[in-house]
Amino acid sequence: MILQNLSIKRKLTLITMLTSSMALILSSAGFLIYDLVSFRHLLTQDLMTQAEIIGYNSAGAMEFKDEAAATATLSALTAKEDIITAVLYRPDGKIFAYYFRGSAALPAYLPSRLQGKGYLFERGYLEVFHDVTLNGERVGTLFLQSDMRQWSMRARRYAGILAIFVLVSGLFAFFVSSKLQGLISNPILHLEDTMRMVSANKNYAVRAVKSYGDEIGRLIDGFNTMLSEIQQRDTALQSTNGELKTRTQELEEEIFHRKQTQEELLNAKHAAEEANRAKSTFLANMSHELRTPLNAIIGYSEMLEEETRDSGKIENVQDLRKIQSAGKHLLSLINDVLDLSKIEAGKMVLHLETFEVSQVIEEMVTTLQPAAAKNGNSIHVHMGDSVNKMRADITKVRQILFNLLSNACKFTDHGTVSVNVEQIKVEDRDWIEFQVRDNGIGISAKQKENLFQEFAQADASIARKYGGTGLGLAITHRFVQLMKGNIWVQSEVGQGAVFTARLPAQVVIDTADSAQSESTGKAPAVPAETKTGLETILVIDDDPSVRDLMSRFLTRLNFHVVSAANGEEGIRLAKQVHPLLITLDVVMPDCDGWTVLNRLKSDSKLAEIPVIMVTVVDNEAMGLDLGASNYLIKPVDRDRLAVLVEKHRGTRSSTITDDNPVPLSYVADRQADKKTAGTRISRTRRN
Amino acid sequence: MQKILLVEDNEMNRDMLSRRLQRRGYCVVTAEDGEKGLSLARSEAPDIILMDISLPAMDGWEVTRLLKANMSTRHIPIIALTAHAMVSDRNKAIAAGCDDYDTKPVDFGRLSEKIENLILEKKLS
Repeated sequence: MILQNLSIKRKLTLITMLTSSMALILSSAGFLIYDLVSFRHLLTQDLMTQAEIIGYNSAGAMEFKDEAAATATLSALTAKEDIITAVLYRPDGKIFAYYFRGSAALPAYLPSRLQGKGYLFERGYLEVFHDVTLNGERVGTLFLQSDMRQWSMRARRYAGILAIFVLVSGLFAFFVSSKLQGLISNPILHLEDTMRMVSANKNYAVRAVKSYGDEIGRLIDGFNTMLSEIQQRDTALQSTNGELKTRTQELEEEIFHRKQTQEELLNAKHAAEEANRAKSTFLANMSHELRTPLNAIIGYSEMLEEETRDSGKIENVQDLRKIQSAGKHLLSLINDVLDLSKIEAGKMVLHLETFEVSQVIEEMVTTLQPAAAKNGNSIHVHMGDSVNKMRADITKVRQILFNLLSNACKFTDHGTVSVNVEQIKVEDRDWIEFQVRDNGIGISAKQKENLFQEFAQADASIARKYGGTGLGLAITHRFVQLMKGNIWVQSEVGQGAVFTARLPAQVVIDTADSAQSESTGKAPAVPAETKTGLETILVIDDDPSVRDLMSRFLTRLNFHVVSAANGEEGIRLAKQVHPLLITLDVVMPDCDGWTVLNRLKSDSKLAEIPVIMVTVVDNEAMGLDLGASNYLIKPVDRDRLAVLVEKHRGTRSSTITDDNPVPLSYVADRQADKKTAGTRISRTRRN
Repeated sequence: MQKILLVEDNEMNRDMLSRRLQRRGYCVVTAEDGEKGLSLARSEAPDIILMDISLPAMDGWEVTRLLKANMSTRHIPIIALTAHAMVSDRNKAIAAGCDDYDTKPVDFGRLSEKIENLILEKKLS
């Protein structure tokens, strides 16, 4: 492990050194072994020769059993340093003579038995046995033992030389390899340096220098190619980054500008809304300010006309009538402009109620009879069989019909104006279609384009000839739109005209209005909602079943219902929730309905809340005298109740916006109002 | 002769209306503000009251309420006259206890019809 983590330089040196040293040691060892083996062989030969010579010399002594001569012969061996023992045995194995180097005593390890001739190595000694013969007859055996001193010395010397040689050659190898390893390690180290530099400085422009054409050279080539590629990408990335930064900055600027614009727009919107409010207030005030002098002009001229006629000055009557008619025209102009501005401000509110279509048609025809007669026209009415009731804003339906009919009468001379009313089904919805047809002067295609625009009479000459403000059809159009209906015209010059207004049989108030009434309708006695008193009806009755029935019925009509079981509670709740209207029973324990009614009407804060009496007591005069708006006898006629409460729906919101008048323009409207206002009171009185 | 109390702050309108009503044969008493109207209603006991709604100080609604709350004047029919031709005014007028309602500029024919109707009803009841 430690070896593996060594630097490539060291590794290379180490490998070279190890390799060369190993080879050297191996070859030296081979040589050494060979030399030692052959030297030993030489030594053995030499010892055997020695044994032959001594055997020959001592054969006579053995024959003659001359021990001294034999010992003398053996003693000659002193010259031979390596021979440490020499023994002559008699043929029977007994020692005859001997020689021991350095010692007079017998050594302990003489061979126990005599061997045949030959040599052997035993315990580091070389031992030789030789037969001593005389004239071909064996007379004894010679034993020589050598300690191989020469051999061991030679071996030691050799080993020493070898060690020195290995050391020297190792040093040499180290020197050479450390010089030569640079060939391989230097390029690699250079590559490593370059890499470190690149990664540390992120400078991809640096290149490694290629030294040789070997694998490392190719590696460096590859590395350089890689670097230049990275450099390219880096440059591209940096330029993209730069672009991105610029773009981000641009975007930020744009966002800033947009926010500024948004703020400006918001301010402008607030300003516009403020201006619109100011306009509405201004119009409301102007309406009042203009009407007051007009009142005097029309009134005085009417009065003067009567007086003049009485005094017989007929020639002045015409002039006075002109003043009157101019005044009335001015009044209708003011009303039209107010109506239109009201629509534009989005403040025109729909007051929905259910009514008989035929009744409205009759009213309008009656109203317009004089206008028709003026031009010698006759009005024909056709009502479809299925036409019955519709739910819409009756005032606006009247105005629509009035405008269409009066236009038809105005632009037709001695002709026929026919009104056709049908109930039809389109897209699964019921519609009431009013068609007003005349055979008058007609309308050209060009005139049709702007027909429903404000101040766009067919042309200026028409205004001079026929009069009018040019607002009638625009207002009619807006009213039809307000009730989610359609209006269109078919006409050609000289061929008369057919105006068709199609209104839903059941007009619904959409968006905020309906959401509001719906939420109040659903909410079960939520104080937060009842506080506003908006669309809330207070039911005062001691009979729980009546309370329950009324509550359910009125809830279905999209009112919020609060009920009280007695008079005291009723007055308290009336103060608390300030309801749109109150239904009141007469016969109640403790505080009866008359008392409650009296207290409600004498409280300035509650007096304006309409009260509908709902009772078994048949004393309508009393109720109305005390200030009740209507009087219903139990069991209650639900349709009647629905009509009565619907009349009041939405009136509270109008009460709140007192500054924004809903002008009852047009003669028809005023007459119709007179009729309803008048008949309503007389009807309830007569009942 | 029927007596009419006209409560109206605008001098021209007061003069014009009272003269026209007199020509129709009514006896006309006029008041230029609400308080005077209240006291005249009590002292003169008119057969009918024409009440302008936009009066200085005490407005027509207030005067009507006070008149209707008082036992001695409760029976006198009141016709409200407003310059603001608002639907809500009609309801307001009825709610305040007015017996009828008309908008200004007054259509004299229509107004006299209303006056006659109310006087007739009052006689019948």
